[in-house]
Amino acid sequence: MKRSLTLLLVLVLAFTFALVGCSAKTEEPAKTEEPAKTEEPAKAEEPKEKILVFARSGDSVSLDPSNATDGESFYVARTILDTLIDYEADNTNLIPGLATSWKTVNDEKTIWEFELRQGVKFHDGTDFNAEAVKINFDRWMFEDNELRFPGENFEYWGYMFGGYPGIVKEVRVVDDYTVQIELNTPSSPFLNNLAMPCFGIMSPAAFDEYGADIFKNPVGTGPFKFVEWIKDDKIVLEKNEDYWGDGPKLDKLIFRTIPDNSARLLELQAGTIDMMIGVSPDDAQIVEEDPNLDLYLRPSMNVGYLAMNMMKKPFDDVRVRQALNYAVDKQGIIDAFYAGLAEPAKNPMPPSLWGYNDSIEEYEYNPEKAKELLAEAGYPDGFETTLWAMPVARPYMPQPKEIATALQQQFAAVGVKAEIVTMDWATYLEKGQNGEHDTYLLGWTGDNGDPDNFIYVLLDKDNAVVGSAGNVSFYKSDELHDLLIAAQQEPDQAKRAKLYEDAQVIIHNDAPWVPLVHSTPPIAARKAVKNYVPHPTGGESTFWQVDIQE
Amino acid sequence: MEERIELIDEEKHEVQGLWSNVFKRLRKNKTSMFGLFIVLLLIFLAIFAPLISPHDPIAGQLSLRHDAPSAEYIFGTDSQGRDVFSRVLYGAKISIEIGIISVGIALILGITMGIFAGYYGGIIDIIVMRIVDIMLAFPTILLALAIVTILGPSLVNAMIAVGIVNVPKFARIVRSSVLSVKENEYVEAAISIGCTDFQIITRHILPNCLAPILVQATLTIGTAILEAAGLSFLGLGAQPPMAEWGSMLADSRGYMRQAPWSVMYPGFAIMITVLGFNLLGDGLRDALDPRLKE
Repeated sequence: MKRSLTLLLVLVLAFTFALVGCSAKTEEPAKTEEPAKTEEPAKAEEPKEKILVFARSGDSVSLDPSNATDGESFYVARTILDTLIDYEADNTNLIPGLATSWKTVNDEKTIWEFELRQGVKFHDGTDFNAEAVKINFDRWMFEDNELRFPGENFEYWGYMFGGYPGIVKEVRVVDDYTVQIELNTPSSPFLNNLAMPCFGIMSPAAFDEYGADIFKNPVGTGPFKFVEWIKDDKIVLEKNEDYWGDGPKLDKLIFRTIPDNSARLLELQAGTIDMMIGVSPDDAQIVEEDPNLDLYLRPSMNVGYLAMNMMKKPFDDVRVRQALNYAVDKQGIIDAFYAGLAEPAKNPMPPSLWGYNDSIEEYEYNPEKAKELLAEAGYPDGFETTLWAMPVARPYMPQPKEIATALQQQFAAVGVKAEIVTMDWATYLEKGQNGEHDTYLLGWTGDNGDPDNFIYVLLDKDNAVVGSAGNVSFYKSDELHDLLIAAQQEPDQAKRAKLYEDAQVIIHNDAPWVPLVHSTPPIAARKAVKNYVPHPTGGESTFWQVDIQE
Repeated sequence: MEERIELIDEEKHEVQGLWSNVFKRLRKNKTSMFGLFIVLLLIFLAIFAPLISPHDPIAGQLSLRHDAPSAEYIFGTDSQGRDVFSRVLYGAKISIEIGIISVGIALILGITMGIFAGYYGGIIDIIVMRIVDIMLAFPTILLALAIVTILGPSLVNAMIAVGIVNVPKFARIVRSSVLSVKENEYVEAAISIGCTDFQIITRHILPNCLAPILVQATLTIGTAILEAAGLSFLGLGAQPPMAEWGSMLADSRGYMRQAPWSVMYPGFAIMITVLGFNLLGDGLRDALDPRLKE
């Protein structure tokens, strides 16, 4: 008797589980209504306080952006610090930032003079002036500078300017509000580079006050002031009343870290956060159908790719690399994992950039041709290899593991047996830079809207150094290198565009990658959030104009 | 069971009587018969998975992704457009393998350690049992995680890890049974006629420790399957595209809203399987308990 009671209990339990699974959909509307009700009285108490809670998948590494390389760090830092030059709200055209105007003062175009904005104060009350600019630049460019604190190495300065001090010769203070930057050679991407969030200007007084702790106590001139940072939880910023520009309209801006995509969306629907990045493309439709939410699409300026390690067999053979290109059904992957929010890639840079070569003929999806090429290369029965997949969602690849599984199947169809390898994010990047992989999934979001920022960083032989490679195919082409260096020094944009178009032909023929997609990352916000404009570089400097109107 | 019977032919008659007696008592217990039914069904599915499953568990069609359950795909399809039903069936095969192999590892190591400790006693007993105590001091899943991290993530390594984690249970049970069995007169008789230690252990001691080992093994298969599924869920066990229940859960949990069936069925399969082994184990414990002998 006791036994049958137990059995009954078990069955009831199982049945309940099944019911819960089925009824999940019908319960949803009720969930969204409840928190909204409880929230109203709270808002009514303090009607003036406007707080925007913004959620993302990872926390910042550093709040001193010059010392960070990750998008999450830049995302927050660019609301606290200003750069000399800024981007327009939704593209990478340049507009004045802390500098009001700039010009070259010599014929070789190597000396740039910047007029600085007057009357700007740092958050600590000290004045922004030419001396402050020089102190910041000297800190980044000279390895023996006394303001370089232990552990700081300013990687991005090296990436963009080719070393320390690299192509920058000297920064001179002309008068209180005029600064000159002298270069060793003319550089076309130079101004665009200065607008990158990693070159935000900090208060010199703060260096003295905080020393090595500056990375968690940023003091800038931006629309928001730093209040507190609870690691892996939240970063709280408050309104800078003395901001030199318009706004800000919000009283507080809070960046929360919620790693799981679906959990973050649930919080948004519940109203505990106001905005989120990293919406799974599959969830985009849910956001669109939700009457309380708006879906934003970030203009596409990225590429997701599969790099093949040319230092290892059999990927030293161009036929093998081309065969894998023919083996991949990009459209199938996009339909399945991007919900149409992406387009197939055929070049290493996105079509939204100037210099994109649209005349290149994509390696179409053709498994038969792939098998032929493999047979020609001496692998009629295929081969075994590893397929490395990143452990975290990226804007260009929201579901890397799923995509790796799909690629694994498509490769199996032409006889290539790939084993999926994955590990934690930091190790993944490190081992990739060391060239330990066979094939490797990765991607890139453009920082400054210049083709140099894609092709030179990701495919030039200068960046194929084992241990710190940006070029994880370890593709070394002298022909390509010559074109890219010429393009860096060429002042005329039309001529540069031509050089980059030629570069893409070389890359296409050598096929160091399987270029996969250019994605359009979706962003979701409550309807009350106004004036938000997503920026193609993956982070906004226009939070000053964002408002909440219930 | 049959192997054991061959081992001790002179006791054949009596032993058969014992086992039929046990089965008789087991049959009276409805919940454990239900457990036995689940286990047998699972074994049947595992053996005939390639014949029963209507689709390939590995190759999917991306265009059929997240199809709701239908006549063609009775459990629906997952995020890679694979048939969830076929994957659950193949998962039964893998889970049974995991259960048997990892418990096999635990049995071999555990019995060896337990017999040495119990039979020889003294300093050997102290050393072996302190090792067991150290292993018991770690939470099982943590210890398994550490072992897999050292060996590298793969299904085989997950089985080894789960096996090692379960060694202490068997070592303790075997030691305590050996301690009581070796005091019996027939063991003394065997010693007096000059049997070697090996003969005494294999012919006289081990067969008489079998009941508690059997109960523990049945219960442990259930937990082993659960632990291996946990490791796979964390990405440390079965690697894609293998159809393993834990990794199926991990792959589909992000789609709980779009495709609840791709999470529900593998989860349900794990639950039912572990339940089956536990019910059977409980029933066996009762049936083998000498105090309940009529």
